[in-house]
Amino acid sequence: MAHSNWAEWIYLGVVTALLIYVGAEAWNVERIIDHAPADAEIIIVTGQQWFWTFEHEDGTKEVGELHLKKDHAYKFEVTSIDVNHDFNIPEFVVLMDAIPGRINTVWFSPNEAGEFEIQCREYCGLIHYNMRAKLYVEDV
Amino acid sequence: MSRIFHLSIIITTLFIIPTVSLAFAAETAGEYIDRKAEIWNLFFRMMTVAFVVGGVIAGTMVWQVWRFRESNPNSKPTEYEEKGEF
Repeated sequence: MAHSNWAEWIYLGVVTALLIYVGAEAWNVERIIDHAPADAEIIIVTGQQWFWTFEHEDGTKEVGELHLKKDHAYKFEVTSIDVNHDFNIPEFVVLMDAIPGRINTVWFSPNEAGEFEIQCREYCGLIHYNMRAKLYVEDV
Repeated sequence: MSRIFHLSIIITTLFIIPTVSLAFAAETAGEYIDRKAEIWNLFFRMMTVAFVVGGVIAGTMVWQVWRFRESNPNSKPTEYEEKGEF
């Protein structure tokens, strides 16, 4: 019986095009997000049971709170000194593992002023639920 | 008719979805990219594609079941059934 299979080819073409689109978009957004600007201020973030410590470029340290300026770029160098933690600022979709002996980086630029939550997103022991810090974004 | 339908699927996939997603993408107001907007927009675009694929697959299955049911006036016995071999 004679038959044509052009419909199958179109179906394959549509699926292939969608897969290429999905892959290209995801790759592109990841590339944009990963690329930290050269003028980003580096902040060393250290997690330990059960609090966060932040060290600015000028050497000043903050414990349990972090003060940043609106519309400035910040690059976090995230590490841990005991067990695995996960540095998370939900409001700005910042999330990076804090692993002992390793420095992971993530960057962002706060575009609104106010008070925001910082929390641990990796179960790290008894008081994990309360391993929080406060982010203050100042409009300067 | 079905040619037009398939052509419209191709055009939608290749041109309309990317154009609409570009048009509705949140613009970055400041000097730096808005991480939250980029990530959530990617999520919504991926969800759109996922639902389109799901819809096409589910629709194809529903169409096949409907088209090739025994009671369909257009259905014909296979050559094996005609010969009584099956």
